[in-house]
Amino acid sequence: MTRRADAAAVPTAIAVGYDGSPDAAAALRWAAALATRTGAELRVVHAVGLLEHAGMAGGPARDAALAVAAEAGADEARVTWRRVDGEPASVLVREAEDGADLLVVGSRGFWAHPGVLGSTSLELAERAPVPVVIVPRREQP
Amino acid sequence: MLIMAGPVGETVHDGGPHPERPARITAVLQGIGDLRLGTDLVTVDPLPASRADLARVHSERYLDELEAFAQRGGGSLDPDTYVTPSSWDAACDAAGAGLAAVHALRERGEGVGFAVARPPGHHAERGRGMGFCLVNNVAVTAASLLAEGERVLVVDWDVHHGNGTQEIFWDEPDLLYVSTHQWPLYPGTGRPQEVGGEGAIGSTVNVPVPPGATGDVLRLALDEVAAPAVGAFRPDWVLVSCGFDAHRADPLAELALSSADFADLARAVAEFAPGPGRTVLFLEGGYDMTAVRRSTAATVAALLGDLASPEQPTFGGPGADAVRAVAGLRERAMAEVHDRTDGGSLDAPVTGPAGAPSERRPW
Ligand SMILES: [Zn+2]
Repeated sequence: MTRRADAAAVPTAIAVGYDGSPDAAAALRWAAALATRTGAELRVVHAVGLLEHAGMAGGPARDAALAVAAEAGADEARVTWRRVDGEPASVLVREAEDGADLLVVGSRGFWAHPGVLGSTSLELAERAPVPVVIVPRREQP
Repeated sequence: MLIMAGPVGETVHDGGPHPERPARITAVLQGIGDLRLGTDLVTVDPLPASRADLARVHSERYLDELEAFAQRGGGSLDPDTYVTPSSWDAACDAAGAGLAAVHALRERGEGVGFAVARPPGHHAERGRGMGFCLVNNVAVTAASLLAEGERVLVVDWDVHHGNGTQEIFWDEPDLLYVSTHQWPLYPGTGRPQEVGGEGAIGSTVNVPVPPGATGDVLRLALDEVAAPAVGAFRPDWVLVSCGFDAHRADPLAELALSSADFADLARAVAEFAPGPGRTVLFLEGGYDMTAVRRSTAATVAALLGDLASPEQPTFGGPGADAVRAVAGLRERAMAEVHDRTDGGSLDAPVTGPAGAPSERRPW
């Protein structure tokens, strides 16, 4: 298996950050389309924060996320849904350390907060050990 | 004698319907009030932490952005963490509370300090706030002590791992960070293999415990895992990231402690201090107001040598085996570090650069 460092490699495991926002859905569609073309495993990853863990804030539904992936043509058997406790960028970095060789996020929403701290997606790009794709909302492959 | 620095955050940094709220400070004050300490309670006003104090642990860029964000009216840093127009000043005051407590303890040479302040701090990393935390209060005080050549122990018994404190002091051999926390749980860091960076291996001690763990399990963690590390480290100061969200009534997590257990943990931690006047508590989490009130009273009373809890200690929950496994893992990891004198590989501990060209950290 070709991993890391080789920028021209075809991804074998794609992790896409998903918070239920339209931007995250665009990222998921893009990732699903790429996974379909390359035969890669697709991990749909949702970071669970303090409030969501306690049921004090809502999170995206698994079925809705998987439906988005299916619409984009992803092979159901190659798609997994992961709810992981943690902060979004850190959770995706950990996915990379757990074998994902491409990370995909939307350009806005909490994955790329436009306010203080700059952009989480840029922060992710700084910290990730594998390539990161930031998908603009209009992208509809 | 209790030296209380604060209160900070009883009326400001209010995010509306959010568990990290001003009433938490009121609950702590009630818990202290329940002890009727009389002249054994000394209150000191915190001065806001200076820019230099904050910049020891946070990047200039983050501090600039946070201040500007609050000035623009604030908003959300992440799905958990709010900033209001008053939050910057509150965060500076909260960080200053620990400094004021240390100052007062030094003047008196006795007593126990308590920074009764919010917003809390231990999730805040060098370059970002998260998990309800904006400025890492315990880290600001720890860094101030380190700058004066002191050796600092931070015990973090909040139910969540203090990823920020760990990150800030990852490469600091003169600070020993010990955390007990529920696993799995936010923020997802704090595995036993996370033991500190190259040059500071062993200076981070993580003891994750499963949901349902009781007071005896956390006490075991302090006795079996923390105590040997602390004994070898010999701290000059003991700072406690004192969250009360490991209480069984807390809505944010699933541990099963009672207020009496916090007293037990406090007694164990008191043993870690080199002498009187060297222990400071920092309020971290704790979101059930009755639990916070009772646990505050129990913890402070224990540190002052008294008993105060209407609840019984808890025991028999899961996790003792996990704690013993961590103790064993840590012994083996440290032995390996001692053996490694000629560049041999070290598999178990995550220490940062692990043969990869880019620096690799566990978060
Ligand atoms: Zn907590």
